[in-house]
Parts: sequence; structure tokens; C-alpha cells
Amino acid sequence: MMPQRSDRLAAWWRTFAVQGSWNYRTLVGPGIAYGMLPLLRRIHAGDPVGLRDSVERNMRSFNGHPYLCAMAVGALARLEYDRVEVETVDRFRTALRGPLGTLGDRVVWAEWRPFCLLVAAVLFGLGISPVAAAAAFLILYNAGHLYLRAWAFVRGWEAGLDVGRILHESWLDRAAGKLGPANMLLLGAAAVIAGRVLVRQAQYGPVPWALLAGGVLFGVLAFRWPRRGGRLAVGLLLSIPVVWLLAEAGLN
Amino acid sequence: MELSDLALTPGIWLALVVAGGLLGLDAVSWPQIMISRPLVSATVGGAVLGNAGAGFIVGLILEIDAMRHPPLGAARYPDTGPAGLVAGAGFAAAGGSGTGALVTALISGWTMGWIGALSVYARRRLNEHLLSPVEDLAARPKRLERRHRLAMGLDFARGCILVAAFLIPVAAMTRLAAAGPAQPRVLGYAMAAILLSVAGSAGASARVTAFGIKGWPLLLAGAGVTGLVMAVAT
Repeated sequence: MMPQRSDRLAAWWRTFAVQGSWNYRTLVGPGIAYGMLPLLRRIHAGDPVGLRDSVERNMRSFNGHPYLCAMAVGALARLEYDRVEVETVDRFRTALRGPLGTLGDRVVWAEWRPFCLLVAAVLFGLGISPVAAAAAFLILYNAGHLYLRAWAFVRGWEAGLDVGRILHESWLDRAAGKLGPANMLLLGAAAVIAGRVLVRQAQYGPVPWALLAGGVLFGVLAFRWPRRGGRLAVGLLLSIPVVWLLAEAGLN
Repeated sequence: MELSDLALTPGIWLALVVAGGLLGLDAVSWPQIMISRPLVSATVGGAVLGNAGAGFIVGLILEIDAMRHPPLGAARYPDTGPAGLVAGAGFAAAGGSGTGALVTALISGWTMGWIGALSVYARRRLNEHLLSPVEDLAARPKRLERRHRLAMGLDFARGCILVAAFLIPVAAMTRLAAAGPAQPRVLGYAMAAILLSVAGSAGASARVTAFGIKGWPLLLAGAGVTGLVMAVAT
């Protein structure tokens, strides 16, 4: 039976919880089955064996970016509705994992989220209140988030087996390429804003040129060797209480 | 020191514990609208204690560090929701000023984030047992739905427990540290170390978002232009 609009809405809503039972054995597989259930119940209405087999198939190991998993939920349900052969569905499912994971991670986690966070930081630097800056991040980020989830689900349901082409021709990769340089600029700006806030907060006075130059050099070196640079940055923070305690001990 | 000294009434404590549950849930399980980012969670923590600005400062610095840990593939990353909330609330409880309080809040947020990451790992291992055997759950889809929701409920509880365990100790430590460091040389070292730490975190995070492009000139350009604008404006 063809799923109704309410079933599709229910399935889309459930995609927000697609990682709710993420585990190391089947990854997001149970979440995919959970998301598909409103559709599968309609498709296999009156056929408990068909429903059981379908849920079992879709609970198997699967991974992908959580927002783009909405596309998997839509497309896999479409294949169930179209009664596509099980072997084809299995191959399709395997083939879908890579692109949904890589593309989503690149577009959302590595580009869109930092972009929105950094815009909020820069807005704060321009003088808007902290609460407004945090709200600006949430509004901007979730405008993209909700659009992506809805687009992915609808296109998945419409395209079925053809989602590979949809992903290949989509705007997602191009968008990520454009945000990269913007993020570089914004991150530099955000670091300076954070530094200025800190200096003001501590009433530290003018920052010595040597410290500024050291900051620039350390930033560039950390860019070149991010793992070591990041660890050293944390180490510097952790060294403060040690130096403090040693100085206090020496004083007494 | 009493709870009232920390501006933590039982009602505020409970509100923050529940908020911690929601923030813990948001990071992975539901609905991933990113209220769990430290920029937001620390601002919320500060705002609940009447000083959103203090929370935002802590959140911004934790955010610059957290950006270098995107959840790509099977990578581990700090659980920044409850951690940011506690760090932001802790700094606000200390009046939102003082280098010692700021350093304590930042280190608490960072440490708690990685302890949270361990709890996420443990929960995921537990989910393996909750969501098996597959055949049994497939035969009874309602049970699958219940187990899935139970896993989400456990994630909520995980966030609540983290905040309940850390909030008062962190707020108390931050408050105690607010007066220091008294020696100018130590204060100078602390400020320099924080500024260098932010610069290093920004560089490392930039590389992650750059995905290998040679972007450091852009990073410096962003920093340089902003620095110039600020210098001219003041």
C-alpha cells in the first residue's frame, strides 16, 4: 500500500532520532529501521512476514551522516514499496553508505557548522549581545539543517535507486568548496575577537608585540601540524594552574 | 562556602541538570540542532546564573578548541553540551571575572568534555546489547521502537548525571579561584598562555575545516584585518 503523507511526515520526524541507538556493531542501522517503520507498516500492511523481513534487512549495519540518513530512509522505503529485489537493495544499501557519510561530514560538520559558529562569534565581536549571537547561530545553522533534512528525505523517496545521481549532481559539494576559504577568514577573526575579550576581561592592558608575534607563529605552526599544535594549546592551558601553585608554594 | 554563595538554589541546580540532559541528548541522539555546541551551552549556563556574557566567553574559547574535533568517521570528540553548560555556569557563579576563575572554568569544561566522551563510548557499548538480537526485534517492531527510545532516554540520563556530578564542584572551585593569581608575573603568564592557546587551537581547527587546502594566509588575513579594525575603532 502506498504510504500516505502523514506516514512520510512521521518518518521524516523520526530521522531526527536516527542516531538514538547508535552502537559499534550495527552503527546507525537500528535508527534507519526505526525511521522507516511508519512507511514500512503502510507498505507491508496485512503482511507481517514481509514487515519482519524488511525491518530485519534495514536494521543491519549502516552508516552515514545523520542529516543525510533521511535520504537513505526515503530511498530504502521507496525500494520496499517498488518491490525491488532483495539482492539489489543490499547492494544499493552498501553503495549508499560511503557518499552519505563523506559528503555529509564534509558539508555539515567540517564547513556549515563552523561557518555558522564563526559568524556568531564575529557578530559578537561587532557588538551584538551574547544571547543574540548564540541565537543567530542556532537560527542560521538550523535553517540549513532543516532544509537539508527535508531535501534529502523528499529526494530519497522520489528517486529511490537513482539517489546516487542526485547526490552526484547536487549543490552540496559545491557549497562545501565555497565555505572553506570563508571559514579560514572567519576563524582568524574569531581568534582575535576571543583574544580581545580575554584581555579586556582580565584588564590585562596592551598585549606585547612579542606575544602577538608568538600567537601568529603558533597559529601557523598549529595549522601545519594540527595534532601537535592542538595538544600544545591544551598543554599551555593546563600549565597555568601548575605555574600558579608553584608560585604560591614558593611565596609561602 | 554555601550553595547560596554560588548563586545555585535547588531550583537552578535542577534546571541546569535537566538542561544538561537535553544538551547531552542533542549532540548525537536527538534532535541535533546544535544546542550542544559550547558556544550555546556555555551561554545558557551563564544566562541561567544571570551572566550570559560570562558563559559566552568560556563558550567561545571552548568552541575554538572543539572545532578541531569534528565527528568525522569513528573519531572521538568531547561531549561539549553538558561540559559547556557547567563551565559557563561555573564562570558566571564566580561573577564572570578573574583570570583564575576563567582558567578553572576552561580546564573544567575541557576535562568534563572528555569524561563525557568516555560516557558516550560506554553508552554506545550498552546500545549493542539493547539493540540485539536483530531477529527478535525485527519480529516485534514495537519492541524495536521501545528499545530505541530507551537508548535515547539513557543518553538524556547520561547528560543529567554529568551535570549533577560536576556542577557544584566546578562552581565552587571557580569561585575559590576567582581571587587569583595574585602575583603579577603569574597573571602575566596565565594571560599569555591563554592567548597562545587560543591561537594554537584556531590554527589546528582551521586545518580541520580547510580539508587540506593551503589556507593559513587566509587565516592570517582574517586575524590581521580584524585586529586592524579593532585597533582603529579603539
